[in-house]
Amino acid sequence: MTTRPEWAGVACHGLGVDSRARVIGRRVAVVLVVVAQLALVARGYRSDHKEFGFQMFPESSTWSAEVVRVTADGTRVPVSEPWFGYRWDELVTSRGLAHPSARHHADAGLDNQVAFLAAALDYVAGHTPRDRETRYLEATVTTWHNTDGPEVTVLRSRERRAAADGGPA
Amino acid sequence: MTATSLAVPSATALGRLDELLGRRVSMRALALLRIMAGPIALAHLWPFVADARAGVIYRDAFYEPYAAWYPELPRPLYVGLLALGVVAAVAMSLGLLTRVATATTFGVVTYNLFLSTTHFHSNRAYLVIVLAALAVAPCGRELSVDAWLRARRGWPALDPRSPAWPLWLLRFEAAAVYGASGLSKLVDGDWFGGTVTWHRMVQVRDQLEASPLPGWAVSLLAERSFHTYAAKVIVLTELFIAVGLWWQGTRYAAVWVAIAFHLAIQLTASVQIFSFLGIAALVIWAVPSTRDRVVGFDPADTGQRRLAEAVAALDWLARFRLVEGGRGSPLTLTDRDGTVSTGRAARVRVLSRLPLTAWFALPVLLLPVMRPVPARTG
Repeated sequence: MTTRPEWAGVACHGLGVDSRARVIGRRVAVVLVVVAQLALVARGYRSDHKEFGFQMFPESSTWSAEVVRVTADGTRVPVSEPWFGYRWDELVTSRGLAHPSARHHADAGLDNQVAFLAAALDYVAGHTPRDRETRYLEATVTTWHNTDGPEVTVLRSRERRAAADGGPA
Repeated sequence: MTATSLAVPSATALGRLDELLGRRVSMRALALLRIMAGPIALAHLWPFVADARAGVIYRDAFYEPYAAWYPELPRPLYVGLLALGVVAAVAMSLGLLTRVATATTFGVVTYNLFLSTTHFHSNRAYLVIVLAALAVAPCGRELSVDAWLRARRGWPALDPRSPAWPLWLLRFEAAAVYGASGLSKLVDGDWFGGTVTWHRMVQVRDQLEASPLPGWAVSLLAERSFHTYAAKVIVLTELFIAVGLWWQGTRYAAVWVAIAFHLAIQLTASVQIFSFLGIAALVIWAVPSTRDRVVGFDPADTGQRRLAEAVAALDWLARFRLVEGGRGSPLTLTDRDGTVSTGRAARVRVLSRLPLTAWFALPVLLLPVMRPVPARTG
């Protein structure tokens, strides 16, 4: 005869004894969460945004960028100048990107910051339908990894159809 | 349905694991964390709500969906969802329809987090983890309006114990937060060597000079050699918290250090809700059993009576049973292992086990006169 403590027959939520399915379910849930968390921590060493990787305040790195619109005729116009009723600092307000020409701390690391800037260029390229002259946006990004010297990278948004076709972006 | 007995200790590793996960323990710590998580979730949601009230939501400016298939709600529904999150966070904290409220808060916060890569911050990820643990654990059976309503209707109280696995998982996650952060700094030569913290101080030196810090402190913080040691202390602090919380012998020290660590971060950096959440979540490291320490006090003694009143008001983790002793008897604390402290040692030990006073009382326990008398055997 198997004896059980008083509480063993009153499993959680009053649903009766711990069934084998429930025991295995617990086991699977715990193993899955632990493995997933460890995998996300490992992934944090090579991903831009390090989701659930918990790498906090990773660098003292800084960055700045000159962002321009490149028109169909090759003219490069700084986005600090409003265009077709758009303003960069109204289109891009978060993650320290509103004023890219100033030198900023990359508070979640340079990879993170540059990835956000690249995504922001695409966002602006795709969310400015009144603009019928810009082919693409380009950012000349200067990064300083911790105390290292500057490195320059050029990012370019996707090509806009508006300028090429004369249609909406 | 096959019944699984948990009475006999299992010989196999898998059996021991099942025993550990299914062990019914007190959910008191999670109930307390639930109460504190409500205001923290509100603080997290509030910037989104404030923007929405001003007519602005995330997709009115740059955002980057994680996946094209991720559902985005029409504007009124999204604003309504934020409002629902606020209501749910309040209800969760109060313990009103706790299960539903906690799951809803978790759902809203998680949905909002994954709407855009720009929403992601580590402190928000930690909040999602904490809310997930609270959503799967029955943490509304005490310290809740639900429990109060049951008592008012004359219904029997629900068992406040439950299988321990959500608590163990949350402990793992909490340790992972500190461990992952410390490890990433340990393996980074610039971090462990002090370059990162020193360079950051140099960058904000003008802010330091404008702060109330004395000149010598500003000079020290800007001194490169200081950071050679300070960075190692920071990294080892995070790793100590991650590891020290697991063992009884180091747990109180790790909790004390963690509180100091979070306070320091809160004062020196912009970390949104991280400090509040980090400190609140420390309650999960309390041993999950209740009323297993006995405080004997003389109600005629003003000092002892006041301590008993303090225990009654501040023993949020339900660690103590208060027992009136005989007239003229000293204050006595009998710990769960049978060790006995009396007088001032008992007073300090009691205060060191109350969430609000622990941080101040714990260092006093290091004094030799504060050692309790071991349990008698035989």
